[in-house]
Amino acid sequence: MTVGLSRLKHLIVLMMENRSFDHMLGGLSLVTEGGQKKYPGVNGLTGNESNPDSNGTEIKVNPNAKFQGQLDPDPDHHFPGVDMQIFNGAPQGTARPRSMKGFVKDYFTQTNNVNKSHNIMSYFTPDKLPVLTTLATQFALFNGWFSSIPGPTICNRAFAHYGTSFGQVGMDIFEILRPIMSTYERMLAASKTAKIYYFDQNSSTMEIVNLLKNQPQIFATYDQFISDCAGNTLPEYSFIEPCYNDHEGPGGGEILASDQHPDHNVQEGEKFIASVYNAIRGNPTVWDSTALLVVYDEHGGIYDHVPPPDCTPDDKPADATATNTGAPFNFDYLGVRVPAILISPYVAKGTIVPGTEAGANARIFEHASIPATVTNFFLNGDAKRTKREAAATTFLDLLGDVARADTDLPFFTLGGH
Amino acid sequence: MPPIVVEVPEPEKGSFNHNRPAGKLLQSQTEHLREALLRHLRDIEDVLAINLKELKTERDVSNYIQKATAILHTQARKPSEKLGK
Repeated sequence: MTVGLSRLKHLIVLMMENRSFDHMLGGLSLVTEGGQKKYPGVNGLTGNESNPDSNGTEIKVNPNAKFQGQLDPDPDHHFPGVDMQIFNGAPQGTARPRSMKGFVKDYFTQTNNVNKSHNIMSYFTPDKLPVLTTLATQFALFNGWFSSIPGPTICNRAFAHYGTSFGQVGMDIFEILRPIMSTYERMLAASKTAKIYYFDQNSSTMEIVNLLKNQPQIFATYDQFISDCAGNTLPEYSFIEPCYNDHEGPGGGEILASDQHPDHNVQEGEKFIASVYNAIRGNPTVWDSTALLVVYDEHGGIYDHVPPPDCTPDDKPADATATNTGAPFNFDYLGVRVPAILISPYVAKGTIVPGTEAGANARIFEHASIPATVTNFFLNGDAKRTKREAAATTFLDLLGDVARADTDLPFFTLGGH
Repeated sequence: MPPIVVEVPEPEKGSFNHNRPAGKLLQSQTEHLREALLRHLRDIEDVLAINLKELKTERDVSNYIQKATAILHTQARKPSEKLGK
């Protein structure tokens, strides 16, 4: 066991909303220094990736992503839409290469505007996202973290909580199929501590029915997270949810959605990620004993160039009526790639975890990697799990022996311009 | 060596828009919350259906108190109160 693992007492997951890897971090591959790529290990963009639009014109990726106002209407990210994005309309029952060529055409079905459909190919230059970019380059960036399902939020978040979506590929309420339990129930059953921190009561949680009813004690607000960091009272496992809507604060102030779901303000999400990091970093005891995973639930219909790989099928397939594609889904390939970063003082600066570009050396992660990691580390693997979770790659081996010096670690100041 | 300090910009003024049409995710959230409330209501109905005259032993009473308190403890919480640990 490494020193970093032996010190580890708290694992925190912050799950943001609906942005693809290339949209947020693909621009890192285009940064040069002294005529050389500054981040050669990042599997980002070359600048030449393209998708045909509805007129057949090839539209290249473009570095003009906006913080807000560009992806309205919300790009489709339900199962049939993502199927179109990945397979470019190749009919079911044929050889269907995962070409990643259907994003623009799919967005056109929503916008009915050829020029606007091109926005789906936009990406942020690294200077626009100082928080995510700093964390990605200072800690461990996963080249191959994929959403668990080529579909929307609820079923993907279910994988983060249960290691399965119990056969769901959509937004419907799902029923827990015993003996599978959530990570929180597993932890509590073993006399461990776990908590979901949602932002506030106006935003609440996306993990509602089964947990709010049965386990009210595991919920707390983000204010409590800040207090728990400062007071050394963090649970062993924490899952943080950003603010999901714009609403007035208790005193009448403006609280912006920080989830980065289109068309919410991306900079507010940056602030929120920085706030979570600073809360941990601000207490040396917590900082030394905590690993933070920042990850996005799915790609939100936005372009990424990496075809999702095959995976271990989940226990329960979805039939054709559920997928709305005319074909069942066996959960045998993953969804679109998303940003994921592991942060700890024991993570070596500039770590790149290889993805599909590394061939036999690839390390593929998805949201079932979260309960798998929690269960392996805190519970010695002792839990009933789906085949999918049992096969999921875990990530705490990235914590090494050496704690980085304080001067080698970033700190964020909020409120700059 | 000084620490790496990164300034995080504020969103533009005027970004707040609580009149923005709610998307599918938020609409799903309200449906799920409604379903949770219905299930919670059924829990309350189940407890209300217990005939108090049939609670004979301390075990009977204790079970009833536990069920009622678990519901009321949640219900009594004011909106402004934080959900504590």
